[in-house]
Amino acid sequence: MSSLPSAAGDLNLEPAPGSLGGDAAPPPISVQGASDNSRRRKLYSRLFYLLCVFISLLSVVVLVVLLASITIQGQGMLSWQLLTGAHSELHPESAGMWPSIVGSIAICGICALSALPLGIGTAIFLEEFKPTSKPLRLLHGFIQLNIANLAGVPSIVYGLLGLSLFVFMFNVFGQIQVNESAGIELMGVDRYYQVLTLAGGGHTVLIPQEDDAQATIQIDQPVMAVDSQGNEFELSVWELGTPRPTDPAEQQRTVRKGAVGGSYAQTGWNYFRLPFGRSFLAAGLTLSLVILPIVIIASQEALRSVPPSLREASFGLGATVWQTVRNVSLPAALPGILTGSILAMGRAIGEAAPVLVVLGATVAKNSGPQNMMDNVVTMPVLIFNWAGRQQATYQELAAAAIIVLLVVLLIMNSAAIYLRQKMRVDV
Amino acid sequence: MTALPPQTPTMSNPPRSDTDHASRDDHRDGESAGAAATATRPVEGSGRSGPDGSIDNPCIRIADFNAWYGSFQALHALNLDIPRNQVTAFIGPSGCGKSTLLRWLNRMNDIVPSAHSRGTLTLDGIDVLSPSTDVVNLRRRVGMVFQKPNPFPKTIFENVAFGPRLHLRLRRGELEELVEWSLRKAAVWEEVKDRLHSPALGLSGGQQQRLCIARAIAVGPDVLLMDEPCSALDPASTLAIEDLIYELRRQYTIVMVTHNMQQASRCSDRTAFFYEGKLIESGATQELFTKPQQKRTDDYVRGRFG
Repeated sequence: MSSLPSAAGDLNLEPAPGSLGGDAAPPPISVQGASDNSRRRKLYSRLFYLLCVFISLLSVVVLVVLLASITIQGQGMLSWQLLTGAHSELHPESAGMWPSIVGSIAICGICALSALPLGIGTAIFLEEFKPTSKPLRLLHGFIQLNIANLAGVPSIVYGLLGLSLFVFMFNVFGQIQVNESAGIELMGVDRYYQVLTLAGGGHTVLIPQEDDAQATIQIDQPVMAVDSQGNEFELSVWELGTPRPTDPAEQQRTVRKGAVGGSYAQTGWNYFRLPFGRSFLAAGLTLSLVILPIVIIASQEALRSVPPSLREASFGLGATVWQTVRNVSLPAALPGILTGSILAMGRAIGEAAPVLVVLGATVAKNSGPQNMMDNVVTMPVLIFNWAGRQQATYQELAAAAIIVLLVVLLIMNSAAIYLRQKMRVDV
Repeated sequence: MTALPPQTPTMSNPPRSDTDHASRDDHRDGESAGAAATATRPVEGSGRSGPDGSIDNPCIRIADFNAWYGSFQALHALNLDIPRNQVTAFIGPSGCGKSTLLRWLNRMNDIVPSAHSRGTLTLDGIDVLSPSTDVVNLRRRVGMVFQKPNPFPKTIFENVAFGPRLHLRLRRGELEELVEWSLRKAAVWEEVKDRLHSPALGLSGGQQQRLCIARAIAVGPDVLLMDEPCSALDPASTLAIEDLIYELRRQYTIVMVTHNMQQASRCSDRTAFFYEGKLIESGATQELFTKPQQKRTDDYVRGRFG
């Protein structure tokens, strides 16, 4: 580098005295110097090329090392059992990740359902409805600035936001406390008291609960009850000192006088209450906040790449803005929007921090979500949990689970590429 | 002024005597007499007109019209009448405001946030600029063809059916009939009738532009605005479009912007010359090209600048 200024000095020879305009005679250039300079420039170009190749290979090498180490560590655990089983504290060798796969997909589904309409809608507003007045221009600029800022917010911050916004809902609807309050339940739940019968062996009957605030019931006289099949019958009461029923069927319909029943909730798949609690619904909505800026920016880019001439053609035929968006802009931008959205979903499925904050670190679950308010395990949380344990088996399980997660991501990205190609051809 | 450029006589006569387009001239010769008659009629009625030329029963009346982009004034106090069922050409150097005026005629400038205007612009008595004017209906009456062919990335059929579908509820049969009528009218039916359901982007540039014209007339406009419709096309396609424009003026009022003075002289009845946002001169094409009254018009049509 130190020789460069001198080389430049060779070229910038002062014009010969007398040629003030500079166009009279070309400045004398030493032919020897020019050829030296050209060789040096070619050398630098070559070096720069090699540097670029080296740098790009470096990142590939890091990826290959990562994949190789994970594959070596985890291949022993890759089995059908891993895909179909559930987490096990006692028998790690037979543990699996089926609930976490279902949980991740469920959360991703919620995330897609909420983030995609919002994100694409925002992008359409920002790109297709250009501001016509000063307040509108300010609004556009304000939204645009905020989206750019939100894209850079760490995901754990979104986790905390989701915790107060979706899990607790700022305690506006009351705090959820086990066996005391469940917030405001809107649908999908039947509340009962569960009472032991005389039949023994843990046989119970259910008595419909009328007052939500009353957590327990004491049975002193016959009441209407429901058996495990859902049939209603009148529950009879046996008092100490009177002859005890001996018929097993009769015993199943009788309780001891003064028996106490605890609260019991029977929930359907559509169970819905207002603070969402630590549910996969809350986790999905939180993740949708994480990916919303990504979806918006990708959709904006896609809409911006639609040639303006197509919009003009549509407006020129008398189309309204909605007709233009619906028939021209969106179809043309759809491949780009889909690609961006699927990449954003890939980000969502791999996020651990916000899910940990919202759902907690529970991994002991042997099925996917049973209702909308159910807690779930997700793949990243499971990997986080397994990788933090001391037993070598769990380490290997974590590596195997990472392979599964990568395969899921790979499938999603391939789908994105496939969709983009297919839509291009369809045009 | 006295010595006309040698090419002017050929330029200013719509029925050209170019030998290499004999067949085309044959087909046009029958109408040329009638065309010349229509071209001269308004001129006789109102005489030669300067910047504020007025004609009887104009389709579009522009009075004291100013337009701005932000603080830049693109058009200054224009007065111009555009006659019905004739071709009016806007000529002038780049940036002189002719496209701006065209885009105000169907309010396409609504899309441009900084564009605003003042003055009167009426189309058959409708105040085009009034905020209460229904832009959707206005654009249905005033179709537009753009500089670059811009068919939608759909099939040929879907392209033409796009406009009717926006405004009308048609049965499949009616729609097919309308599409065929439009494509025939735009002189592209014979070339595309066997591949109506193949992508429009597979057509050649000239065919695409005629498809765009078919798309524009499918919604049943009265006026067609053409913004340099041939500037992106090869000479053969240009000829086809010019023939078509000549043909269409019997049914539509056509306003076209062109950079090509030969084109203006070949296929327009009236010409308006713009320079730096002002209307310098307007009148019957033949007269404007052969006996321009303004020095700048003369310089421009002789190719001394612009």
